[in-house]
Amino acid sequence: MLTFQILANGLVLGGLYACIASGFSLVWGVLNVINILHGSFIVLGGYLAFYAHAELGVHPFLSILIAAPLFYAAGYALQGALINRMIAAPVLLTLSLTFGLDLMLQNGMLLAFTADFRKLILDPPLGVLALGPVVIPVDRLAAMLLALALTGLLYLLLSRSRIGRAVVAVRMDREAAALMGVSVKRINAVTFGLGAMMAGASGPLLATIYPISPLAGTVYLGKAFVICVLGGLGSVPGAMVGGIALGIVESFGALWFGPEHATTLSFLLLIVVLLVRPTGLLGRKGYE
Amino acid sequence: MTKTPRLLFTLVAGMLAAGTATAQDVIRIGAPLPMTGPLSPEAVKQQRGYDLWAELANKAGGVKVGGKRMKVEIVYVDYQSNTPRAVQAAEKLITQDKVNFLFSPFGSGAAKAASSVSEKYQVPTIAATASSAQVYDQGYKYLFGTFTPNDTLTEPLSDMVRKQAAGVQRVAILARNDLFPLAIAQEMEKSAKKRGMNVVYFEKYAIGTLDHASALSQIKSQAPHWIFATGYTNDLILMRKQMGDLKIEAHVVTMIAAPAYQEWIDGTGKLAENVTSAAWWHPAVRYKGKDVFGTTENYVKLYQAKYKAIPDYAEASASAAGAIFQLAIEKAGTIDRQMVRDAIASLNEMTFWGPVKFGPTGQINSLEPPVFQIQKGKPLVLHPQAIRQGALQLGIK
Amino acid sequence: MKQGVLTGLALLAILCALPLGVDSYWLRLGTTMLMYGVLAMSWNFIGGMAGYPSFASAAFFGLGAYAGAVAQKFGLSMFIAWSLAGVVAAMFAAALGFALLRLRGHYFAIASLVVAEVLREIVNSATDLTGGGKGLNLPVPQMASIDDQARFFYYAMLGVAVLAFSAVFATQRSRLGFGLRCIRQNESAADMLGVNVTLYKVNAFILSGVFVGIAGAVYASWVHYIEPPDVFDVLYSVKAIVMVLLGGAGTLYGPLVGAVLFLSLEELVWRNYISVHTGMLGLLIVLLVLFLPKGILAFRPGRA
Repeated sequence: MLTFQILANGLVLGGLYACIASGFSLVWGVLNVINILHGSFIVLGGYLAFYAHAELGVHPFLSILIAAPLFYAAGYALQGALINRMIAAPVLLTLSLTFGLDLMLQNGMLLAFTADFRKLILDPPLGVLALGPVVIPVDRLAAMLLALALTGLLYLLLSRSRIGRAVVAVRMDREAAALMGVSVKRINAVTFGLGAMMAGASGPLLATIYPISPLAGTVYLGKAFVICVLGGLGSVPGAMVGGIALGIVESFGALWFGPEHATTLSFLLLIVVLLVRPTGLLGRKGYE
Repeated sequence: MTKTPRLLFTLVAGMLAAGTATAQDVIRIGAPLPMTGPLSPEAVKQQRGYDLWAELANKAGGVKVGGKRMKVEIVYVDYQSNTPRAVQAAEKLITQDKVNFLFSPFGSGAAKAASSVSEKYQVPTIAATASSAQVYDQGYKYLFGTFTPNDTLTEPLSDMVRKQAAGVQRVAILARNDLFPLAIAQEMEKSAKKRGMNVVYFEKYAIGTLDHASALSQIKSQAPHWIFATGYTNDLILMRKQMGDLKIEAHVVTMIAAPAYQEWIDGTGKLAENVTSAAWWHPAVRYKGKDVFGTTENYVKLYQAKYKAIPDYAEASASAAGAIFQLAIEKAGTIDRQMVRDAIASLNEMTFWGPVKFGPTGQINSLEPPVFQIQKGKPLVLHPQAIRQGALQLGIK
Repeated sequence: MKQGVLTGLALLAILCALPLGVDSYWLRLGTTMLMYGVLAMSWNFIGGMAGYPSFASAAFFGLGAYAGAVAQKFGLSMFIAWSLAGVVAAMFAAALGFALLRLRGHYFAIASLVVAEVLREIVNSATDLTGGGKGLNLPVPQMASIDDQARFFYYAMLGVAVLAFSAVFATQRSRLGFGLRCIRQNESAADMLGVNVTLYKVNAFILSGVFVGIAGAVYASWVHYIEPPDVFDVLYSVKAIVMVLLGGAGTLYGPLVGAVLFLSLEELVWRNYISVHTGMLGLLIVLLVLFLPKGILAFRPGRA
């Protein structure tokens, strides 16, 4: 019976992980930029939901509608103003750039929100769903479903819309896309905007579950790295598979080897996957 | 190209010019705090406590030193939640900022690491948040601490549960793998076994853990009567929420140290109900102190007026560290480090924090830490008997 | 060439004389700078010369620190413990190198980043051997005064730095250095021309690990109390990289210049801006990346 409960825990956790990683994976895959800011964007989205809920009574799930366009615009602007200047530079340089920007953002949040932990509490709580002896918290389930829906929307956007196909084209072959008349600069900015949007939108979802503090982003960033590699870089379905795989591995790892080894196990898995199958679990190279 | 170096140069020059002030008739106390990094919420508390004391002491004209009064100034340095930096910060405060005395950095680990610096320069140092006995048993003469050892928390707690909830037999312990949370969990294990209870689960979780569902599901399957969990505020908010998510029930749930913090109560909401904890101080304790704050009631009142909140033990301990320096300096009648050190070592005085008397190692040995329980959103004292505000409520859902 | 040697000797003379004129706070800073100098120079082997973006410095550092500390716990003398830490780090780097250096670019970066996390958790859970989350105390060397101690560790760290520097110097003039430059420019071509790329890369990785391991052990003795999160801190890797990028990758003096420059800036913002120093440091990094690409762009993997 414990096994089913752990499986349920892992699946729900995995849905949240997928949401954390999808935008990060997109930016990395398409732009070749490791965006260290991603974790802090999630936290900032969380603060937005927290204050909208505390001051105006806005439900956190509704805050996503506010967060998404705001973060898209901010990401678009940031890419256009700063990151585009370095887009052709080696990956370590863009990484240093976003690392520096992240230090600034974290410091700003520390000044604006103080270091105290905040927690968004839904009142009344959403309760739990009992399937026999297995219990699943409804808020997590809803967050997971929303997360998967968001990730799915991103996938549709990329595969069906004109601009989305241009993003995919740029990922596959930058030069060829430029020759075909795609404005690579604009697509870069759109991609970064989409990545920021996904981060900003997952903030409110996570705010119902995790305490928020200015530095909480570091842990999310660490998870995003692992998930991207597990699923394959730059692939939205990959992020979903990677996230769920990580959720399940961590949950069963904690059961079998003790909770202190759950993370270690996921990191070991990551190294093994890299060595055996560097393109990720899905093993597809192109962006779909 | 020439523009850029000039820009950098201006920046650097500006930084060099900023700050460099020294004053004469001021007592300077250095306070290395983890203002950034994972421990930063704790720095906020420490700073509130120190500031409240310094403000009050200065409002009265300053600290009495022999015939005159000297103002106090606290020099803060951020050590970025990084222990090596804490040691560096302590040395900087002593050699560069020329502080007279020092407050230790946060927690047992950093306080221990930095104590070698205070000892080297013979600077009296008070640790406001270090409880582990290993911090004080290095034979150092200049380090003092306001927390009694960890077992003074778990022992009265276990006694009370043993007496008032005879059915409690099975204990589950889940601890953060970190100096203080792990140390106190091990004390708890000893206290429980000593009373014939059966520890059915003892596991550690890694720092930065984002999910406790597996560990908690396993605990649930063991059906313990008493769940004892340790960690920092964020860990324990998440853990309490996940216990609710998994419908875990027990006679007693104890968490250390977060439930003493208002942020934890706010962050868990109704789930905070009936969770027990213990700490070195509680706003309900009643002492008539000889220090600058006087009674505990007065301390709480002053704190509320300034910060619009009820003080917790971490904030009060920081204020107490300041008040103890003041008592010692006034007793010594000088700010000579050696004399002040001797005055602290021989102190035997009542304060708003409780009776203050340091043992031979420098750790306080005169406190009786209260046990409390969250009832209707408020922490009520269950022990010691003299300041009891309520009875232990069994049952947690 | 001759001038280079003279510059080096002059620098060494200054570094040796430094402890005579400064108080122990500056001595502490000097020791820290030398330590980061070792980290930066070591990263230069794998990152600068071979062009592999390694984040493994933190893993080597922490491994060395704990190897040295545990060895002393079992009664080995300090110097033997330090040497042993170097050997452990080198062996670990060799094994790791054979496994990971088949990966390239991002994938190599991630894998090397994760190694430190894995080691940290292993050390954390091996409570009996390492004290786990409670940290580990090291014996304090018996010396006349604590000032002597500070000087001793300064010179010890200087010794490690000189070793690392000599290794860089020798490598650049050797067949290994030539091979690594070939690998950076075009690994497949180097392979076809008969360069044993795997062996060369593993050698570079060992060189990038051994001195960091020793530095970790010296550090542990210096602070005589270590905890897993402190010595396996990912910032050791990140800072080493930023320092090399600042000073110029693949060069002899670049990493040292970068280390001194970075730590001076960090110290400057740290002591002057109590609430915004991390932000200021971030701003400086951003400005340097954006406006000083010349100093930085010496590093271009995959390009001539």
